Amino acid sequence: MSFIGRIARSFADDARNVAGAPRRFAEDAAYTVQGLRDGTVSPKKVAWTIIATLGGILVVGAVLFPLYWIFTQSLSSSGGSIYAAGGFTWLPPKPTLQNYIWVVGDLIVKGYRISVSVPLTGLEVFFETPRIELLDASEHGVTNPSDFKKYMANSMFVAIPTVILAMCVIIPASYALSRRKFILRRKVLFMYVLLTQVGGGLGIAALVALYAIFVQVGIDNNKLALAVYYAGTAVPFNTWLLKTYMDGIPVSYEEAAIVDGAPPWRVAIEVILPLAKAGLGTVFIFTFLTGWTEFLVAQTLLSTDNYTLPVGLYTLIGEYTTPWARFSAFALMFAAPIMLLYLFTQRYIEGGLSFSGMEG
Amino acid sequence: MSSATGIIGQVRGRSVPSLSDEDRNLLLVLPGLFLFSAFMFFPMIYVVYLSMTGANAVNMFNPERPVPFVWFDNYLSLFFADEATQSLGTFVSMFLSDPLSVWDGQFWNSFLLTWLFLGISVVLKIGFSLSLAVVVTAKNVRGSRLMRAFLIMPMGLPGVFTISIWRGIFSSSRFGLFNQLLNFLGLGTVSWLGERWPAFLSYIVTEMWLAYPFMLIITASALQDVPEDIMDAAKVDGAGFFHRFRHVTIPAIKRPVLFATILTAAASFQQVLIPYIFNSGGPSRKNELILVYAYREAFDVSTPNYGLGSAISVTAILFIGMFMWLNVKKGRLADGVDTE
Repeated sequence: MSFIGRIARSFADDARNVAGAPRRFAEDAAYTVQGLRDGTVSPKKVAWTIIATLGGILVVGAVLFPLYWIFTQSLSSSGGSIYAAGGFTWLPPKPTLQNYIWVVGDLIVKGYRISVSVPLTGLEVFFETPRIELLDASEHGVTNPSDFKKYMANSMFVAIPTVILAMCVIIPASYALSRRKFILRRKVLFMYVLLTQVGGGLGIAALVALYAIFVQVGIDNNKLALAVYYAGTAVPFNTWLLKTYMDGIPVSYEEAAIVDGAPPWRVAIEVILPLAKAGLGTVFIFTFLTGWTEFLVAQTLLSTDNYTLPVGLYTLIGEYTTPWARFSAFALMFAAPIMLLYLFTQRYIEGGLSFSGMEG
Repeated sequence: MSSATGIIGQVRGRSVPSLSDEDRNLLLVLPGLFLFSAFMFFPMIYVVYLSMTGANAVNMFNPERPVPFVWFDNYLSLFFADEATQSLGTFVSMFLSDPLSVWDGQFWNSFLLTWLFLGISVVLKIGFSLSLAVVVTAKNVRGSRLMRAFLIMPMGLPGVFTISIWRGIFSSSRFGLFNQLLNFLGLGTVSWLGERWPAFLSYIVTEMWLAYPFMLIITASALQDVPEDIMDAAKVDGAGFFHRFRHVTIPAIKRPVLFATILTAAASFQQVLIPYIFNSGGPSRKNELILVYAYREAFDVSTPNYGLGSAISVTAILFIGMFMWLNVKKGRLADGVDTE
């Protein structure tokens, strides 16, 4: 609970920080104006600050423009048409959520009839669950919604086993690499670090062989087998990440536990793991995203029925046949949750990326 | 006798690292190592084997049709033109009449194009992210921390998402953002994905956008670590902005930027998704970077050839290995291993 409490508190801090920004800016501006009047602040410096800040905002806006563009496209009313309605506009003329409804489709929980026969009496009792209509796509003029839900279910079937398996092998390994000394330790670490950067390319280079092996064993088009593969590829980077995180936990906590007579496994479970929660969370997210976002291997190994979300997104593209507004909505539904997740974990990710002593 | 075995035992004890109780901790690492090796190293060994066979989609999974072992035939037909590999005599005579005619056009096109892509994209990536880093670390810019947080955000986006958006931006049809911009400027439209070099340019722009968040993190933190006192001293000595940048900033950020360069060069070399999603390395297979070439030769063409695809893969793996070696020698990636 304290972990959630801590997250909530850091959120509150961030929110207060953001909310206080206009006030601070106003104070800053007032101070500057006062300084200009008194002659303690040079006008040239103020002008430079304003120009540089505006320039900075312009640069950020230009770089992130594609994201804004895709957002406006997803709201545009061209719907299933492959032609955008006219040229670029800052806001679509008739913003609509219809594209999102096309992506989500019907959200209807069917009514079920459950009958239970009461023993010895010959009576039967019927229950009828209510039909829950959260969203009926046809009411909004969408007749043929996308397969988003199917792809998402497939992605879940891949990503969840990936996380479970990967965490099972990553946690003990990173604990051992962080806290124990043993034969081959440095060699294993060395290999993991090297492979964090080129693992993806090697995976694709060996994809022919992987495909051949999977087909010969008969586990191609098997989501669970794909999950095991993803867990394997996630091992080097995430083990290293968690190991670096555990390195940051002071040894004195463990020493205190050992003095109190705790056996090594209890030290690991009751001291290290609770303290490494943030690192565990980051690894959890990363391993989940491995399965959630990988495209090429999934596309090669799976057949149409088992397509995951990225592959589903790819099937929507065609040179002249992309229903662009719908595609944008689909893409955003796929990526926006990930982007939000990333915003929350950004600090840890940056911490993990600076592993090579680049700071100093 | 007994003393001899004693000596041997001593020698053994010294040369072979003995297992102590502590080494049982290796067992904690082994499951992950095994899982990882099973899906990374085993296929890599298998791909080397496949590259020396005539495996294709017809005989690979058919027990009645054995896969022929052809030694280095795949490599020969990969590197050299088909006519040149008939016999040594034809090879020599072809080479003497025209040295360029003996090489296989498609492979060398793909190979050289990969290096061209790597070279141009690395230079642009560094320039782009360094200028962004200058903006977000400048003292005059207010709210630079917020800007930095926003700029890094695309790092969390899935590659397929980003690349397919850029495909829309470069799309040849009317909604394509770039063509709309060109139209607005009165420059006419370009069939970005339908022509060779415009497509290549669009790959590079997309690669830049894909890679900048990571590069920005490294370069921005390097720029923040530029020693303040030396900077002030240079200012006092009357050095202008460019002089300070050239003589103070660049030496201070050289190491981290070099490190980032090696990593991002490796990423460029391994780029698959951009060409694949944009136009399958087209038009007419002219823009296939090496891994795209390998993938398409094995899966996408009308007669999939696993043997040839594997041979391309092995060639690519050798170069990826070279990047790993560079990482160890020049980068500081592995430095962290030694710190306890």
